[in-house]
Amino acid sequence: MIPVEYYVVLSAAVFCIGLFGVLTRRNALMFLMSVELMLNAANINLVAFANYHGNLTGQTFALFTMALAAAEVAVGIGIILVLYRNFDGIDVTEATTMRW
Amino acid sequence: MSRPRLKLGGHLWRGIGAIGLFAVIIAATLNAEFPAPADPAFPEGESITAGIGNALFNFGGPAWYGEGMLAAFEIIDLVLVAALVVAVMLARRETGGSLTDALRTDGGEEE
Repeated sequence: MIPVEYYVVLSAAVFCIGLFGVLTRRNALMFLMSVELMLNAANINLVAFANYHGNLTGQTFALFTMALAAAEVAVGIGIILVLYRNFDGIDVTEATTMRW
Repeated sequence: MSRPRLKLGGHLWRGIGAIGLFAVIIAATLNAEFPAPADPAFPEGESITAGIGNALFNFGGPAWYGEGMLAAFEIIDLVLVAALVVAVMLARRETGGSLTDALRTDGGEEE
């Protein structure tokens, strides 16, 4: 059986790649992808610890996290569409105020 | 030919925070003591998929199925519907009080 530390390290790596993307990217689509990476890092942890404790709660909860990620992407893509219409681009640093 | 390239520059400095966080998590994880896991994790010959299904709809079962999640299932259901409505609301564009062509069922052919 693979030690749970390895899963935690993998999850930390995926989360930090997502965080790196959020901190350095200016493209809103890349932003969205990076946030997805961070959510999926949480999923890895949930499933790994469900296996570790011999309990299915973590695996079931990971399904809910996926549904939540889908909802987030739906709203995120809508916001990016509005961003493109109002600023003629999807650079997140352009939209610094809550108005146009 | 164009292909994606990693753009180097000053904007990458902000990513140092992410690398630092990774180092902190690695250090904390490798120094932590994890108690011995349940071995085998799940009973032999039992269907894990069936267990997830039972836990999802509160059908009950052995203790390793975990707690029922019917309430969370219903809440996620509402959240997904709300997200769908918000996505359509954000995506539609009204020009002169009418929907854009992309959202019309006839593709905007009839005017």
